[in-house]
Amino acid sequence: MTTYQFPSPTKTDEETRRRLRARKIRDFFQSLFSHTAINFIGLFFLIPFLWMVLTAFKSSQDVFHTPPRWLPYDNVRVEVNGEQLPLYNVQTEEGAKQLVAVKIVEGVGTFVDPANPSQQMDYEIQQGATKIAEPVMHVYFNWRNFPDAMERGSRPGIGASFWVYFKNSLIIAFFAIVGTLISNTPVAYAFARIKFPGRDVLFVIILATMMLPYQVTMIPIYLFFNDLLGWGNSFLPLIIPTFFANAYDVFLLRQFFRTIPEEMCDAARVDGASEWQIFTRIILPLSVPVLATVTVFTFLWAWNDFTGPLLFLTSPKNFTMALGLQDFQSQRSMIWNQLMAASVVFTVPIVIAFFFAQKTFIQGIKLTGSKE
Amino acid sequence: MEELRMSGWKWTWPPKFQKWGARERRNFKVGMFFLLPWTIGFLVFTLYPMAASFVYSFSIYHPKAPLEWVGIQNYANLIKDKLFWQSLYNTLYMVVIGVPLTLLASFICAVLLNLKVRGQSIYRVIYFLPSIVPTVASTILWLWILNPQTGILNTLLGYIGIQGPNWMSNPTWSKPGLILLGMWGMGGTIVIYLSGLQDVPVTLLEAAELDGASWWQRLWHVTVPMVSPITLFNLITGVIAQFQYFAQAYVFRGSHGLGFPLNSTLFYSVYLYQNGFLWLKMGYASAMAWVLFIIILICTILLLKVSERFTYYAG
Repeated sequence: MTTYQFPSPTKTDEETRRRLRARKIRDFFQSLFSHTAINFIGLFFLIPFLWMVLTAFKSSQDVFHTPPRWLPYDNVRVEVNGEQLPLYNVQTEEGAKQLVAVKIVEGVGTFVDPANPSQQMDYEIQQGATKIAEPVMHVYFNWRNFPDAMERGSRPGIGASFWVYFKNSLIIAFFAIVGTLISNTPVAYAFARIKFPGRDVLFVIILATMMLPYQVTMIPIYLFFNDLLGWGNSFLPLIIPTFFANAYDVFLLRQFFRTIPEEMCDAARVDGASEWQIFTRIILPLSVPVLATVTVFTFLWAWNDFTGPLLFLTSPKNFTMALGLQDFQSQRSMIWNQLMAASVVFTVPIVIAFFFAQKTFIQGIKLTGSKE
Repeated sequence: MEELRMSGWKWTWPPKFQKWGARERRNFKVGMFFLLPWTIGFLVFTLYPMAASFVYSFSIYHPKAPLEWVGIQNYANLIKDKLFWQSLYNTLYMVVIGVPLTLLASFICAVLLNLKVRGQSIYRVIYFLPSIVPTVASTILWLWILNPQTGILNTLLGYIGIQGPNWMSNPTWSKPGLILLGMWGMGGTIVIYLSGLQDVPVTLLEAAELDGASWWQRLWHVTVPMVSPITLFNLITGVIAQFQYFAQAYVFRGSHGLGFPLNSTLFYSVYLYQNGFLWLKMGYASAMAWVLFIIILICTILLLKVSERFTYYAG
């Protein structure tokens, strides 16, 4: 029996204390550095997001205010004779007064006193370098941008508004989810649980299709749907392919199915269950988490897809949100507040989905290694 | 490759070399029934289009006119096409500069998010959130942020005394602008790195610390090699994605023509789209698609070969 004897402390207490102090200082600076870095980089991610939301609430003049202001500002308005009119600080002969502008023509404003609306006074807005009349502003979140943008759309007057685009995107995403779930699960089950000759060769082929760039098959697929079947300008070319399985989801589902204990399937087989029964009664009910992942990612993909709608959808009333937003931007590139409002509406469903299913999102990314 | 390794794939002889028993025959029938959705999809949406585009690439093909066989003329024309080389250069710029920059940045972010910091989960959400903003929305948002007069970026740069460039209309700065946009949405890559960092054995890091390794030495000599398979995975998927870069570039030109300014955002896939769907030169576009496929294939194989020396697989 030998017991280990720790070496007796050779350093003096003074030295130990000095080392501890040095370590503390080093830790402090390291923590200071990491906190600074994580916050500073965090701003890079946060500010654009905030900027999108804040711009969505700005009035059309405020968008172009230089230098840009963070919060949305708008004129203070006062009701005079049933009209909402902007309030101004005006330097009158009797000193500064708050008056309401009835109209402003070529630098000359017609003002009235809100207390005495019948008497009109004209003042120049600016004399030389001095401002005579300045609008009174306040922080105001102009939520009207949202209904305005949604009703407007990129091509008003032909039944194409963002409401329609939103509905189209939802329809396509819904059927894409249905198709993906129906078609990928049996394929993944066969690869995970049925042992048949040639299975592994087929699995390598399915993985190899992941390497094929979309551009190679894009043109024949376009001609097939558009010219041969005459499905151009409909949702069918975007929906139908999802009913025929894809490598990513097959792989993801197979990986999950393989974690379900084989013994359960074998026991069912002994009891005379068919493969179809095992698949629908045992595997699918146990696979709800991965089915949720596939649902979320299919929604994300369909909601986000730009190239597919760009190729197949030609008339504005069939546009999706992605296509409609791009169209809106290319037609009226200066209406930033409404563009941002539409972008916010476009983004909100995904953000909501994220906060409801955070784990599913993160798990899905780790499993597939990001779908894009 | 990563997928192959994870799937536990083993080579077995093709079916005809085996004697099939009754059970195998039955399993084969059942298996093929389950595979039906994929088999049909593979034939209709992969195999047939591949064959068709291969044939188109050797012909002049306008959808309203009969196909005219021209041999390798499309490929010969590509070599003489200045815009083809321009688009290839633009794409390589994004692959060679954009991808490594984004990988490095996302690794740094993942390291920061892995530190024990108060409010860690909030930081993780903030870093991740931009990546789920739809591509078209995020691109339009960045057009607004990069706006030279009223954009927020140049304003912030102005506060620290830097005169920001004319991001969207200056051909030198349009691609860096797009890289910034890409980095804003790199949350997915950060998450993959983060899960890799969490898999680095604590025992290894502690052993290194006991041996007197500094924080930086532990990061460089333990963490970086341990996550090298993830770096390879992110690198390959990043390179493949950049070669197919399309939607952002299509939106980023705003109301101008494709490739604005001065063809500086005319990426490979954008030029391919322009040929195939705007000029209806479907044969020429198919030839471009096959060249792209071969470039991607070569790059992937090269990366896998080169990485063998730099990648460490534990276990």
